[in-house]
Amino acid sequence: MSIEVTGVNKRYGDFVALDDVTLKIPTGQLTALLGPSGGGKTTLLRIIAGLEEADSGTVVIEGTDATRLPVQKRNVGFVFQHYAAFKHLSVARNVAFGLEIRKRPKPEIKAKVDELLELVHLGQFADRLPSQLSGGQRQRMALARALAIEPSVLLLDEPFGALDAKVRKELRDWLRRLHDEVHVTTVFVTHDQEEALEVADEIVVINGGRVEQVGAPDDLYDTPANDFVMSFLGEVTRLDGVLVRPHDVDASPTPVSGGIEGTVSRSLRIGFEVRLTVLTVAGEDVTVELTRTHARALGLDVGSTVWLTAVPGATTV
Amino acid sequence: MAETRRRPAGPLAYTLRILVTAYLLLLVAWPVALVVTHTFDNGLEALRAVFGDPDLVLALRLSAYAAVVATALNTVFGVAVSLLLVRNEFPGKRVLSALLDLPLSVSPIVVGLALMLVYGGRNGWFGPTLEGWGFRVIFSTPGIVMATAFVSLPLVIREVVPVLKEIGTDQEQAARSLGASGWQTFWRITLPSIKWAVVYGVVLTLARSLGEFGAVKVVSGNVLGETRTATLAVEEKYLNFDQQGAYAIAFLLASVSVLSILIVFVLRARSGRHHREVS
Repeated sequence: MSIEVTGVNKRYGDFVALDDVTLKIPTGQLTALLGPSGGGKTTLLRIIAGLEEADSGTVVIEGTDATRLPVQKRNVGFVFQHYAAFKHLSVARNVAFGLEIRKRPKPEIKAKVDELLELVHLGQFADRLPSQLSGGQRQRMALARALAIEPSVLLLDEPFGALDAKVRKELRDWLRRLHDEVHVTTVFVTHDQEEALEVADEIVVINGGRVEQVGAPDDLYDTPANDFVMSFLGEVTRLDGVLVRPHDVDASPTPVSGGIEGTVSRSLRIGFEVRLTVLTVAGEDVTVELTRTHARALGLDVGSTVWLTAVPGATTV
Repeated sequence: MAETRRRPAGPLAYTLRILVTAYLLLLVAWPVALVVTHTFDNGLEALRAVFGDPDLVLALRLSAYAAVVATALNTVFGVAVSLLLVRNEFPGKRVLSALLDLPLSVSPIVVGLALMLVYGGRNGWFGPTLEGWGFRVIFSTPGIVMATAFVSLPLVIREVVPVLKEIGTDQEQAARSLGASGWQTFWRITLPSIKWAVVYGVVLTLARSLGEFGAVKVVSGNVLGETRTATLAVEEKYLNFDQQGAYAIAFLLASVSVLSILIVFVLRARSGRHHREVS
């Protein structure tokens, strides 16, 4: 285990940011800390980095008890949401910073910086100042800077949060590929479930200062531990008191056994899919997602009577 | 005023421009220009007279010495206090912040009297003890430096604090995570980020310190050739009907201030150009 967090508590006044969090993060993987804003995920990351101190509990990094170690002794690479570029230093000097602090020989620093700048595709920008780079380029520079010190773990705090949607998606794919090349244990914080599902080997869902569930993206999506995880990882609706994904609800124009009767009260078409709102006889509003073709074949429209069932094998909580 | 308001924006902007120019001209530019012209009424005669008088040379040197030492002290103290105010939370922070503005709001003459009360050689609270150790404050150079430092104390802080707030702590935290100690972070990251604020603060402090009159007048004793500073000499000359001499010293004092502001202006423009060239 690369990072072991045990019994960590953190309060800010009356607000409980982390409530007895225990977590193990495996070596060499890309782990996402996923949760809503204010859920404690960034606090946890900052406590692992040593930028924040836990009220109680321990943090062990690569077998070393780091709980009392200051941030500069932990050998962690940290990437900030707003890049934290050293504005007065060139891109190359930014990347070289950690090595200069470690008083490495000049030729070694130069070689390492060149190698890293190539890795993050910023080779031709070495002499520029951060202000002359785009947001995505700045974040790649920050990543190279963090990797330069050969950290035992790489921590990223909402690394793509300040970027626009397109760059965000590009960087996300790029981070995944980079990780497959570099293999450093990486933990990143995000509130975007799609980002976590797409990039991470493992997801830790954090809410209200507690770990809700830990698992591979597919496990979390298919077997969520509770309502919160289920609803945070995707759309949900309630059918007969049970949480189910709208695309896992089948609507039939004829009575079926175990089907719940209702009337289509709203129909919304979004591209290839049709989203129906069905008012059941029990008074529940159920959302159903069907493909356009399927909906047309069934002849469903506002006012139709339908019988709803969860499809076999549907994820329910 | 009612008439100008009814007119379109063009003439209004014009009127404002004229008003501002006239205000600056009548209040600042013209009087200062007159000091310059009066100084050179007889060519370089007045300046030659100043530099020919050993007492005046000493006064100028004393002023320069007090200003430089006070500026050095206030720069170190100012940067340290700014970091304390911006980067730390502690009880009494607001009170400290308000106290730091005191030297700007209190009349310098009050500052002088206050220093007398504490360090006065005969009746001061602490002065006699110090004098017992052979260290004289009032009517001596240390007193002049202290009075000067007192009045110019907040200037560096007021320049640096907003910049420190603006840059935030991200860069410093990044430096720490890359292995830099607190001291390394300060020298390599924080100080370069606030460099221009510090330079401006230093220039303002220097200009203010050179021009200090009231507080210094009280604590210096104004002894010719010993504790008379350049500003005191200006007053002395003026009261003794040596107006030309007074203008000459005033001109020297003013030109140092103008010069330092000019130097900063040029340095700043050059560093801006340097940054653009890199691209």
